[in-house]
Amino acid sequence: MFLALREMRRAVVRFALLAASVGLLVFLILFQQTLQAGLITSFIGAIEHQSSPVLVYSVDGLRNLEGSVITPDLEQQIRAVDGVGAAGRIGQGTFSVTADGDVTSAAVIGYEDERLGAPTTLTVGRLPSNADEVVALDSAADEGFGLGDSVTVEPGGLELAVVGQASEIGLQAAPTLFTTYETFERVVTAANPDSGGALPAVIGVAPADGVTDGELVQGIDDSVPDAEALTRTDAAKGTPGIDQIQQSFQVIFLLYGLVVPLVTGLFFLILTLQKAGALTLLRAVGVTGGSLVRSLLSQVAIVLVLGIGIGIALYAPLASQRLGSIPLSFQTGAVVFWSVLLFVLGILSALVSARRVLRIDPIEATTGAGVKA
Amino acid sequence: MNIAVTELRRRPSRFVTTTVILTLLATLLMLLGGLLDGLIAGSTGAINAQRADVFVYGATAERSIPRSRIAPENRTTIEGVDGVEEVGGIGVVQLGARVPGNAARDLAPVALFGYQLSPEGVPAPPEAGTAYADRTLEANGVAVGETLQVGPARTQVKVVGWVDGLAYAGQGTLWASTDTWRTATAANRPDAVVGAEDFQALLVRAGSGVDATELARRIDRSTDGATDSLALAAAVEAIPGVTEQRSTFNQIIGVTIVIAVVVVALFFALLTVERTALYGVLKAIGATSGRLFRGVLLQAVVVTAIAATVGAVIAVGLDLLIPPGSIPFTLEPARVVSSVAFLLVAAVIGCAFSLRRVLRIDPASAIGSST
Repeated sequence: MFLALREMRRAVVRFALLAASVGLLVFLILFQQTLQAGLITSFIGAIEHQSSPVLVYSVDGLRNLEGSVITPDLEQQIRAVDGVGAAGRIGQGTFSVTADGDVTSAAVIGYEDERLGAPTTLTVGRLPSNADEVVALDSAADEGFGLGDSVTVEPGGLELAVVGQASEIGLQAAPTLFTTYETFERVVTAANPDSGGALPAVIGVAPADGVTDGELVQGIDDSVPDAEALTRTDAAKGTPGIDQIQQSFQVIFLLYGLVVPLVTGLFFLILTLQKAGALTLLRAVGVTGGSLVRSLLSQVAIVLVLGIGIGIALYAPLASQRLGSIPLSFQTGAVVFWSVLLFVLGILSALVSARRVLRIDPIEATTGAGVKA
Repeated sequence: MNIAVTELRRRPSRFVTTTVILTLLATLLMLLGGLLDGLIAGSTGAINAQRADVFVYGATAERSIPRSRIAPENRTTIEGVDGVEEVGGIGVVQLGARVPGNAARDLAPVALFGYQLSPEGVPAPPEAGTAYADRTLEANGVAVGETLQVGPARTQVKVVGWVDGLAYAGQGTLWASTDTWRTATAANRPDAVVGAEDFQALLVRAGSGVDATELARRIDRSTDGATDSLALAAAVEAIPGVTEQRSTFNQIIGVTIVIAVVVVALFFALLTVERTALYGVLKAIGATSGRLFRGVLLQAVVVTAIAATVGAVIAVGLDLLIPPGSIPFTLEPARVVSSVAFLLVAAVIGCAFSLRRVLRIDPASAIGSST
């Protein structure tokens, strides 16, 4: 141990570079984990953080809020299903709006019943109670969607007042506004005066007493062939594109997860080979193989702890920033998971070097052969 | 050089680990590139295939076709702009389509286009109630001669032929007359209906020798800013998500190449350390550092070339196995060539880290070595 620490002090640049490399990789993993979470939340946060426990799409919508249209006939069929305790229309569309002087895209969601479609993560202000009032995504406050701001629907010029802000209610990575169904209908007409009126995208339903969400979903799917009922969680996860985002990031994480132990393992293997002569001499003067392995593993552990610490230190200040339109947040679970996993993998990767150390034959000190390659 | 080649021939097992890792990286590079090309083609095919020079959106549409509206008076103005040869309207509605023979809930996502100017490979607009279908819809069970029921109103659209490479927003497309598009929109998306003479967007063909970007500026000036016009290439890039997809994938591809550099650097550093004594002897009998390094470089390039070839075979195999319309994967020859080139450059760069170590070997050390 003593020798291990002395060696690290004397070759501080070499070990610092490795720790920095590991730190950079840890930072990249944690940052991309946060990016993945932020991306998914900005795509489906509005579905996850609305109050309706079950959402009923038209089969034609293919689980896409923007693509689903509930015709009056379909709505009647859904409302008539046994086990439906309450039902309310939810409309959704993406519109061009002027906010803070700039034209931008905004997703607007209108709900008929506060219990079935209102945002559940209100951070400031209140829910809309009058016409043309909206709750806006809090992370878009700097873009003209702050409390007290006015947003204009283009090209009709309908003014919407922001009376509340809620967190994690993004949809399709756009600034998102929740409002009443009546206001949503006015938004549709303002954006397209030729439209034949707004139809709900989904029907929010709550089960009657004694009926579970799952039973209600099954009941609606069995009774209404043109409807597809999904619990809130399934609706969020089932949104087209979410699976692909998760799969893409998993490939990246797997790649990085392999690289960290690979880099650490190769570094210590090179180090072991370089020190071959000295290690053989130490064995010849009575130092046990176990002692040398402990020294090696303690060096690996120190480098990994330092590297992981550097990674977290780099990640922490960035984790609360925004990346374009995507708000990021510190992922404690990811930090713990990756720290433990990378530490264990890093230690395991050093076992190849440990094996070489244990293979050192002290007699080689008399020949100068050292560790055999 | 001879020693390097001989070592590769006689002790190939020594290079297996690196070859396997590099093969994985090569495959990953080509898969990522193929996915990127497939995604981009799936998003942009319908716009890219337009035989037009300028794409005209409504000024507040944020370059989204479904949100765009062009009034007839603006079209008339645009038709009179100097340099404009021909103008055609276009509109799209995205719906689910019931395919004959498929299960009741097994719908195909389609984008139904109404067009006036035919895109590349698409005949003139067919009669009302019929459409040409993008071939990717074959994967959803669509066949020529079948009648699809489109949208919740089950508007009937008969498929009268195939067209290729015209996907839009990751969906297969149907190409129909503007009447069919208007009928389907009114029946299924009343919120998206446009005026009887309006179009969502316009396509403009420029006269001979007219610069498309300049013409786009002229069009916007002529409509007093009521339009947002883009040269076709810029319109393709302006499709929501295209730039983001490209930059995200390119970053991932970049990181993968850096990882390849690290793998090659570490592996050949390890080999060099192991061979220090041997190199000392070789230098003592007259081998130059340059010659020794060229040997290392040759090994790195050969190992990488083998890995890249195997990776390319795997990627091509996957490209052949993946049915059209399932995963958005398109493997272009240029992508394979560029991936191989990037990996070879990564190998050379990675290998260069061993150069310093080779240069530092002192021939005198051979005298004291027992090897």
